[in-house]
Amino acid sequence: MLLAILISNFAGNILLERFNGVPSEERLHWRTFLVKLGADNLKGARNEELFVSSQKSVYIVYTVLGGVCIYIVGKDEYDELALTEVMFVITSSIKDACGKSPSERLFLDKYGKICLCLDEIVWKGILENTEKDRIKRLIGLKPPNPTEI
Amino acid sequence: MAQPFLKKDDDHDDEVDYSPFLGIEKGAVLQEARVFNDPQLDPRRCSQVITKLLYLLNQGETFTKVEATEVFFAVTKLFQSRDLGLRRMVYVIIKELSPSADEVIIVTSSLMKDMTSKTDMYRANAIRVLCQITDGTLLTQIERYLKQAIVDKNPVVASAALVSGIHLLQTNPEIVKRWSNEVQEAVQSRAALVQFHALALLHQIRQNDRLAVNKLVSSLTRGSVRSPLAQCLLIRYTSQVIRESASNTQTGDRPFYDFLEGCLRHKAEMVIFEAARAITELNGVTSRELTSAITVLQLFLSSTKPVLRFAAVRTLNKVAMTHPIAVTNCNIDMESLISDQNRSIATLAITTLLKTGNESSVDRLMKQITTFMSDIADEFKIVVIEAIRSLCLKFPLKHRSLMNFLSNILREEGGFEYKKAIVDSIVILIRDIPEAKESGLLHLCEFIEDCEFTYLSTQILHFLGIEGPKTSDPSKYIRYIYNRVHLENATVRAGAVSTLAKFGAMVDSLKPRIFVLLRRCLFDTDDEVRDRATLYLNTLGADGAVEDMKEFLFGSLDIPLVNLERSLKNYEPSEESFDINSVPKEVKIQALAEKKAPGKKPTGLGGPPPAPPSTIDAYEKLLSSIPEFANFGKLFKSSAPVELTEAETEYAVNVVKHIFDGHVVFQYNCTNTIPEQLLENVTVIVDASEAEEFAEVASKPLRSLPYDSPGQTFVAFEKPEGVPAVGKFSNMLRFIVKEVDPSTGEAEDDGVEDEYQLEELEVVAADYMLKVGVSNFRNAWESMGPDCERVDEYDLGPRENLAEAVNAVINLLGMQPCEGTEVVPSNSRSHTCLLSGVYIGNVKVLVRLQFGIDGPKDVAMKLAVRSEDEAVSDAIHEIVASG
Repeated sequence: MLLAILISNFAGNILLERFNGVPSEERLHWRTFLVKLGADNLKGARNEELFVSSQKSVYIVYTVLGGVCIYIVGKDEYDELALTEVMFVITSSIKDACGKSPSERLFLDKYGKICLCLDEIVWKGILENTEKDRIKRLIGLKPPNPTEI
Repeated sequence: MAQPFLKKDDDHDDEVDYSPFLGIEKGAVLQEARVFNDPQLDPRRCSQVITKLLYLLNQGETFTKVEATEVFFAVTKLFQSRDLGLRRMVYVIIKELSPSADEVIIVTSSLMKDMTSKTDMYRANAIRVLCQITDGTLLTQIERYLKQAIVDKNPVVASAALVSGIHLLQTNPEIVKRWSNEVQEAVQSRAALVQFHALALLHQIRQNDRLAVNKLVSSLTRGSVRSPLAQCLLIRYTSQVIRESASNTQTGDRPFYDFLEGCLRHKAEMVIFEAARAITELNGVTSRELTSAITVLQLFLSSTKPVLRFAAVRTLNKVAMTHPIAVTNCNIDMESLISDQNRSIATLAITTLLKTGNESSVDRLMKQITTFMSDIADEFKIVVIEAIRSLCLKFPLKHRSLMNFLSNILREEGGFEYKKAIVDSIVILIRDIPEAKESGLLHLCEFIEDCEFTYLSTQILHFLGIEGPKTSDPSKYIRYIYNRVHLENATVRAGAVSTLAKFGAMVDSLKPRIFVLLRRCLFDTDDEVRDRATLYLNTLGADGAVEDMKEFLFGSLDIPLVNLERSLKNYEPSEESFDINSVPKEVKIQALAEKKAPGKKPTGLGGPPPAPPSTIDAYEKLLSSIPEFANFGKLFKSSAPVELTEAETEYAVNVVKHIFDGHVVFQYNCTNTIPEQLLENVTVIVDASEAEEFAEVASKPLRSLPYDSPGQTFVAFEKPEGVPAVGKFSNMLRFIVKEVDPSTGEAEDDGVEDEYQLEELEVVAADYMLKVGVSNFRNAWESMGPDCERVDEYDLGPRENLAEAVNAVINLLGMQPCEGTEVVPSNSRSHTCLLSGVYIGNVKVLVRLQFGIDGPKDVAMKLAVRSEDEAVSDAIHEIVASG
């Protein structure tokens, strides 16, 4: 299960969060924990450099993309390597939606499109799509490339 | 809140510092949402408003029921628009709004239309939305379309249906299980993701059917799975099959091992890693099997990708717990990871090295760790401390350098949990390595000179009081302890006074000086400190027996504090002083099963009904109020209620076994669940033919048992005094049943005698044992002494795993597990479990169980029992031998 996808700016303000199977009373804890994890480790990080951590039986993969920080939390089959796959899809789709690694402003400008991308990538904690080209077509309700069918 | 940090790839060409959502306000956005009702829809404007709604929801904003309903109804109007972009947004916002069941109806027809549309993408999205908001009834209507969608040639549609299936399986399993054939077909799909989703769903459908999972794995491991994600799932399912079938294998060949080994050469790193991990986690993995997995993990250790390094070192860390030698080949690679920028990786590397290192490498490792410790967070430091503790216990000769390391880091900055981990480690080392005692105690003394945590100071003072007087020169600790009386808060000062008293009690030469110090404490500003000083001065100065004084100072309080607190609260000041022996010792307080029915009519006088009794005390009060049982003496133990009927039967009955020295009373708690019946003269007819030592002496029927108003009936048996007699009892509920008119609630005058068969009941050896814990098992064990010790070995035969065997013995004996030893680490080959309890006759019993498991899962157990009475030690062995 993909427990959470959280995107914040560098100041730790949440721009977008999607929790799955995390009780609402635990969400604040996760928010605080992830933002602190980023503050401790993402200083001076290269763009898209992957960071990884684990907390009990839960895995966390996080990175910097332009002006935003992205955190993904998973457990069971969504271990650190599966999360890396998810992270790769998310970052490439966001770059696709924004045309480049986004600044915070650009990310917010393309907010609607990014929400659609995430909706295609993860649905209620399960990875659904992994190819950015297909995702790009799907968010415009265009069918996938005919070669895929 | 996190501090801003440097941006590496800042976009200077963008207008920064200005958010398109600046000043966004829920009320205003809800107003804007009225645009959805315009006769001439503006798709662009509508999409913008939906984006704002999404932004609010993603910020954790919530809509009231009215607001959500209003927005939802407005959004449904947008189905009129043919704009593709807007339609996509509509699908998302409907899912986010999660309309309630009564609202869904308004959008169902639009979504069902989309689900059967010729446009593939409408179908896929409509499936996802419908499945999110649907209930069982609607699902049956659309099931046909979903089954078609699973085998749709468009992979997006198929995946949407399959992932919907995974979600729906939680709520409507019986419907989803009917899709097995279609899902099976989808597993063979050429589309990688469809295969991944289909495999996940098929496994979930069949997970309880071991044979079906076996067949699924057999067929897929021979064929080709396209997606690496699906291949990883297959490896997981294969490991499960191997785990479950291993015990049936006669030849020693491991089924599917070749498949796992083949996956080590897969082109996807994810698959290689999954296979390596699966191999390392195999039950009874051989060193030959481990070698191939460890070789690939070793390669990952030097990968440029941090995730691979992390995954590899995490797995090797786990392997090192059970097979440290197998991991030593990786030590050089792991040493280079100590300087890894990712501190999680570095910490895992360090702790793995600490597990695999040999005695000669300890000093070198400690040097590396010293520089490493300063730049990691407390949570990582705690992991390292725990690893160092294990290392020190493994190599006791190295205690000097390891203890020095611990004392050095104890002086540095750190939070409570970190400091506690260090202190705990030092305490354990002092207990287990006698040579480390004196230096360890001095380190702790130095620490309390400058300790900001009250809890740690008091814990250390308590420990000093026990261990300090046994050292060669106890006087050197007095200065540190007495300093606390001057410099600390009241809690620590009180702790210091108790510690001083212990030194006075144990070391005669120090006694006069301790008296001087304690007298000074009589002028303390705090009541507790003064009271303790007075108490100890009187105790130490009294002429009473030395043993009594020591028992008072050092004896453990063998009463659970919650029970003591409750008894003190219940105590009403009177001529009769509070008797600590009246406090129940049972750890787990069982609430009485019977509950007073809610809304029960007030008693005739209109006074408040008595509060429902909720403790063992309450049982005792209840039983002593019944004249037939009043002379049975003190209640030794009351069991947890044992159900004698299935759930949701006409009459619910459970029984509580009350054990006295020479009697056993069964308390049958009965509930009548039929509103049209009144039961009268309710008794339980007990057949004790399979309980030879028991003779029925009394029975107390229940006069009336109205609907939903529980009551009790009792049956008492005599048994040989002090003997833990066991036996089996069959039970029959007998009563007179009267019809009740539901409208008036009045019962008919005439009734019919009837009977109702209940389940059997057993009195077992564990019923004669009270679960009473000890705070320090080792101390309790040593102070009990070997005089009444009995040791023997038992073969427990084949068992599922070690944990199952440990649980079985704990349940058989009914004793309290100590120090968390009831938890068996997975894959353990041996385990020690410590138990304590009080046997009938108030005899303290301690048990040390040592388990070992061999290849074919045969479990052997060594049982050592110490008690205050050798007959009781023998009795414990008899329980195990006959169990």
